Amino acid sequence: MSASKNIMKFPKKSRYKPETADVFVPMEEGGADWLRALRKSGFDELKEQGLPTPKLERWKYTNLLPLVKNFGAELGASDVVYEDPDKLVQNMGVLFEDAPRWLIDVLSQAPVRDDMALWHLCNAYIRDGVVIDVPAGEIVDKPVEITITGHDGAFFVPRTVFRLGEGAELTVIEFHKGEGRYWNNRVTNVIVGPNARMRHYRIQENSADAVYTQNTHVQIERDGTYEGFTLAAGAALSRNQIHAELSGSNATCDVSGINILRGSQHGDTTLEIEHKAPHCTSHQFIRSVLGDQAHGVFQGKVYVSRGADKTDADQLSNALLLSEGAEMDTKPELEIYAEDVKCSHGATTGKLEDESLFYLRSRGVPEDQARALLIEAFVDEVADKLGDEAVREIVRKRVEIWLKK
Amino acid sequence: MIEIKDLHVETDDKEILKGIDLTLQKGEVHAIMGPNGSGKSTLSYALAGRDGYNVTKGTASINEQSLLDMLPEERAAAGVFLAFQYPVEIPGVQMSNFLKTALNAVRKARGKDELDALEFLKLAKKKMKELGVSDDMLKRPVNVGASGGEKKRNEVLQMALLEPSFAVLDETDSGLDIDSLKIVADGINKLRSPERTFLVITHYQRLLDYIKPDVVHILADGRIIKSGGPELALELEEKGYAGFLGQAA
Ligand SMILES: Nc1ncnc2c1ncn2[C@@H]1O[C@H](COP(=O)(O)OP(=O)(O)OP(=O)(O)O)[C@@H](O)[C@H]1O
Ligand SMILES: [Mg+2]
Repeated sequence: MSASKNIMKFPKKSRYKPETADVFVPMEEGGADWLRALRKSGFDELKEQGLPTPKLERWKYTNLLPLVKNFGAELGASDVVYEDPDKLVQNMGVLFEDAPRWLIDVLSQAPVRDDMALWHLCNAYIRDGVVIDVPAGEIVDKPVEITITGHDGAFFVPRTVFRLGEGAELTVIEFHKGEGRYWNNRVTNVIVGPNARMRHYRIQENSADAVYTQNTHVQIERDGTYEGFTLAAGAALSRNQIHAELSGSNATCDVSGINILRGSQHGDTTLEIEHKAPHCTSHQFIRSVLGDQAHGVFQGKVYVSRGADKTDADQLSNALLLSEGAEMDTKPELEIYAEDVKCSHGATTGKLEDESLFYLRSRGVPEDQARALLIEAFVDEVADKLGDEAVREIVRKRVEIWLKK
Repeated sequence: MIEIKDLHVETDDKEILKGIDLTLQKGEVHAIMGPNGSGKSTLSYALAGRDGYNVTKGTASINEQSLLDMLPEERAAAGVFLAFQYPVEIPGVQMSNFLKTALNAVRKARGKDELDALEFLKLAKKKMKELGVSDDMLKRPVNVGASGGEKKRNEVLQMALLEPSFAVLDETDSGLDIDSLKIVADGINKLRSPERTFLVITHYQRLLDYIKPDVVHILADGRIIKSGGPELALELEEKGYAGFLGQAA
């Protein structure tokens, strides 16, 4: 019928909410051409997309906006302190004066997905950060410890780059903490060269009112190993997002995490592991303990590209709900285009076993202590797999302290 | 002294125990025998204070102290110990940590000094040796991957460490090979003392050959239908429950 011609076409509904980026204003700062270009592109992307909202598929369970209102009009400071026995840490801001080509390339690399406004937000205000560049063959024995402290009212967006040359080894432990209400939005790039090994641990104990959003992009070349772990105990809202690309054969990627949350804390772990080469192995292992009205999210994806044959990938999320009000959302995904792969995923959500509790109590262990014992055992299965013994102890200690609170 | 009077217990809104009366004098060993599903484990759980086993009527006391208002851990501190028919597996909790935590919790509640890691280890190893439990067990998660027999020995080990004044052994003999049965029975006998009372739940006369009971009770359908001396167990062996059930009716 001709009437159909007159039906008004509404514009296609956008997944984005550009207006949410209104508070952000461009930074009037000089710097090299590439830096200004990066800021501009970051800013343009941010203005086009706006901040992520639950309308975006990968933000369905996490509502960032209400917690970051009024942040962004200006940048605030954070304290960054290093424990760096081998003097490896370089200040990115200083490097900018005469940045090496490789660093410019890494910093200018576009995010792998189109729902990463928070990545662009970092670029829009890029100013400083940390770089560690370990030359080929260098084995760094002592872990580099970086402590990042946020202050009330601050909004800060540091970028971080770790690069390991062929055969290099590095361990980094990041401690995130602070006081008051602040928003720490970070982007980290990790490049693990051939046969290199990076151990990357985060102890996230931000203040109860803080927002912590982090994007990490990891690239692992042939025979390289990345072991990433996060203990998420802090922040009102945290989003721990990691994309790893296994780009050379025989690479290994282990991403694990322990989330211990209570009150109205929200903790989101979003992982995407992309197998691009054959004979690679990846593991995702997340355990969450949720008390009160805490809300946990695990979104884990394994993507196996064509040709990434003999991939061995698994992912597992187990959550323990300590109260009726606690909630866990999980979304495991597998996308496989290669031959002869071994992939598995699993997700469970449950309570402490009544039977185990009774068994312990019948031996005289008071209920609180019995619960603590079972919770420690639950998360310890993640801690136990970590390669660095000192970190295993740090994690156990933090969990113990958390349980006593 | 343990006194159980007119004890009624429900699970799932169903009455399982329909009025149990038992008096165990200090130092006595009583055996309870009874068909499957007659309520033996229900009695043991009710005494240990397991959730979901609701006492609707009656009393139970240890040395004139009422058990029924106490939490499970308080009962343990007061001297109650239950060796489970099906010991629970607890992944991730190391046996040594479990035993030490339990022992110190009980010692603390009983007004005794807590043991440090070394003192505990010495004590545990001694008891383990007596019970033929290998030292590796300490590093293993509680009951995980243990055989049926190993689990039962573990229960006796826990009892030996916690030194209860009233031990309920729920089919601690089932699933044991002949040698293990002897070791376990020896372990139990070693704990016999004028201060310690045992309630031994079993299906088999064999255990009672090793652990001579003072009194044998037959439990059927939630009631004690007959009590007598050790000869009652032999008689039961001969006639089977059918004979007794007929007699009671
Ligand atoms: N948690 C429970 N929920 C529902 N029914 C139960 C529960 N525990 C026990 N029962 C029921 O109570 C009755 C007695 O069970 P109980 O385990 O006490 O028997 P038992 O004498 O120990 O048997 P067995 O010799 O097989 O060990 C059975 O009918 C059983 O199904
Ligand atoms: Mg039973």
